Amino acid sequence: MKFALPIVVATVMAGAALAQDAGKSVWQGIYTTEQAARGAGVYAQRCGACHGAALNGTGEAPPLIGGEFISHWDTMTVGDLYDRVRTTMPQNDPQSLTREEYADVLAFLLKTNGFPAGGQALDKRSEVLATIGITAQKPANGG
Amino acid sequence: MKINSTLPLSVMAALMLTTSVQAQTPAKEGTTAARTTNGVANWTTYNADLKGSRYSPLDQVNAGNFSNLEIAWRFKTDILGSRPEYKLESTPLAVDGVIYTTGGTRRAVVALNGATGELLWQFALHEGKRSAESPRALSGRGLSYWTDGTKRRILYVTIGYRLVSLDADTGRPDPEFGVNGVLDLKTDFDQDLGDLDTGEVGVHSAPAVSGNTIIIGAAFREGFTPRTHNNTKGYVRAFDVRTGKRLWTFHTVPKKGEFGYDTWYNNSADINGNTGVWTQVSVDEDLGLAYLAVESPTSDFFGGKRPGPGLFGNSLVAVDLKTGQRRWHFQLIHHEIWDLDNSSAPLLMDVTVDGKPRKVVGLPSKQGFFYVFDRATGVPVWPIKETKVAKGKVPGEWYSPTQPIPSKPPVYSRNGYLESDLIDFTPDLKAKAKELASHYELGPVYTPPIVSTPEKFGVINNWAQGGTNWPGGSFDPETGIAYVYACGTCISSTGLLPPPPGLSDIPLVVGVAGQPVTMIKGPGEGAGADSPPPSAGGGGGGGGPPRLAVDGLPLMKPPYGTISAIDVNNGTIKWQIAHGETPDFVRNHPAIKAIGGIPRTGQATYQIGTLVTKTLVIAGENQFTTTADHPRGAMLRAYDKQSGKEVGAVFMPSTQSGSPMTYMVAGKQYIIVPTSGGNASGEFIAYALPGKK
Repeated sequence: MKFALPIVVATVMAGAALAQDAGKSVWQGIYTTEQAARGAGVYAQRCGACHGAALNGTGEAPPLIGGEFISHWDTMTVGDLYDRVRTTMPQNDPQSLTREEYADVLAFLLKTNGFPAGGQALDKRSEVLATIGITAQKPANGG
Repeated sequence: MKINSTLPLSVMAALMLTTSVQAQTPAKEGTTAARTTNGVANWTTYNADLKGSRYSPLDQVNAGNFSNLEIAWRFKTDILGSRPEYKLESTPLAVDGVIYTTGGTRRAVVALNGATGELLWQFALHEGKRSAESPRALSGRGLSYWTDGTKRRILYVTIGYRLVSLDADTGRPDPEFGVNGVLDLKTDFDQDLGDLDTGEVGVHSAPAVSGNTIIIGAAFREGFTPRTHNNTKGYVRAFDVRTGKRLWTFHTVPKKGEFGYDTWYNNSADINGNTGVWTQVSVDEDLGLAYLAVESPTSDFFGGKRPGPGLFGNSLVAVDLKTGQRRWHFQLIHHEIWDLDNSSAPLLMDVTVDGKPRKVVGLPSKQGFFYVFDRATGVPVWPIKETKVAKGKVPGEWYSPTQPIPSKPPVYSRNGYLESDLIDFTPDLKAKAKELASHYELGPVYTPPIVSTPEKFGVINNWAQGGTNWPGGSFDPETGIAYVYACGTCISSTGLLPPPPGLSDIPLVVGVAGQPVTMIKGPGEGAGADSPPPSAGGGGGGGGPPRLAVDGLPLMKPPYGTISAIDVNNGTIKWQIAHGETPDFVRNHPAIKAIGGIPRTGQATYQIGTLVTKTLVIAGENQFTTTADHPRGAMLRAYDKQSGKEVGAVFMPSTQSGSPMTYMVAGKQYIIVPTSGGNASGEFIAYALPGKK
């Protein structure tokens, strides 16, 4: 259960941070294009064999793009997604990337799924990412 | 190999402490039929019985109170392995108030108190490299129970393909079985697997146990990009359940001189493999027959190395339970090249056809046909006609000119995709769908695969996933109605390309023009507790073919997933409903909102198994949704068996990933749903009605 602790910490932190921040969103430009470009390289090396070069999924590995993927994570946080990837992927060698690399891959996934880039890179700390909400629909106020 | 066994607390003692249940063992040798005695009702095989029904006569939970169900207990499987599992497919057994199941990335076995979920004992085999190399890792579909009235055993196949017999009361290996309770299934196999660690074979299914006989199938790596056509052969074997002594072997690929060998032209039976039975085996204990739903030979989409129909590839075979001798067979697809391999447990049903009582076997399929045979003779109950099908143009392929098409019941699930299946919610979406589809081949069932080109990437199909996949169907033994889930839009594009040097000795494997051809992995492969780090490299970059979506909406029309009630007395579809909430990304799509919404679509998944009770058909959802009625989660739904009308639903914090089951202990009915998916790792969730009883 070595993965459980960070998640618990993240959840607690998330509650505190959200209270201060009134909720950050994936629609607010939470990664940089440079970071996503780095992530594309890592993805090709470590993820693409199963999830496909175009993130469409192959065999049993699900697509990481499109409505199914995003609605799967709707109302969760980027921290949830980050820790899911970090603790279980690549499936045959979880936690074998650095935290920075996992953040880069996540930036690539966000970019590919149409979430906007911004001026600040995605953090590598689960507890910070847990303050960023994933919503499938763009909020009416622009995020 | 290291044994990890904990908490050898006597199951009986544990039950006495926590419930008033008095466990009783039946006199008859076998698996103990479901019954309700002293407030206890059992579920003693993977499918409730050896006939594959997934039926329980319990009715405490019914249309009037289903929505009142609440979570009674939860059992998380994270600790049963070196990492959590997100693909929990095991259906537990319930025997006299105790739950037995496999779980976790180690495929451990646990015994739980059926009333509380408390762990009574746990057993796991640490198999090292052999488990890491297995083509079928993770928790598997379940385990089996056997008793002779005195001894009580739990039997299962490990990730590394060993059959283990455990004392049901203590979880300790039975010293009288195999070698210290363990039988190496990679030996005594009528073929040499070479290195026992790396020799390719495994299995997910639960063994079938009847009387003194336990039957074991075989499964292999995903067949999209196999390393060799000369893979391991999927022979089916039976063993003495007390000792592990092999009783018989059925050669699913005939040896020279055996029946069917000549259906593999140019002696190609000698150089092809697979053809295993990876789904559940059903048994008619009165007729003394075991029913084997055999999968396809090696290479899912290219059969040029195996010209000819290739028995018993994609056949339903009835063998003598005692000897393994073939009684009858029917090949459902000749020379299978679509990955439409037999996926479902045979359903052994007693029905009345044209006024006459008939013992039949029905088989759901990925291709949406429900095949029905007299189960003593193998003669189709309604004509199954050899029908001319299209011949493909793949170099080196051999094509069967005809395929058997049932005249009854009607097709219950989409099995081909035509222009009329493309979405047409608006003229704009329809036009875009047609444009996208123009890059692919469309066609009816048995449209042959093509070589991938930049102009036509592949054939759009639901071959690999189906239709009906491993969860199979269910039925009501009292009415002769089968209830079968099917995915309507589990589509992908399949094209063929030559593999790069060193990947495979098969001339054409699955690939997409413009993309590097890489090894495609199968269910849980390389994901088990002992799996090693990956080698360097992987999929390349590049754009790839377009997604099979239009403005983010699925390319094909709903329904995305259905449950069909098939009346096997007369070969008709009694009702069919979309199962599952409309996915968020469809329901909330601006184009859908603009047309005022659409009826419930169901969900595109093949993971759904159904449970049948006295009055209900019960199934959960496999996708998370967030609706006005409930926060992010999934629903467990109940339908009236007669009409298909939804009569209740209860919230699940995670999604159904294995087939549900039901049992009773201390007068209370429970429903267990195996769940996992998204950020939720494997967990068994038990539901019951509020209150003490």
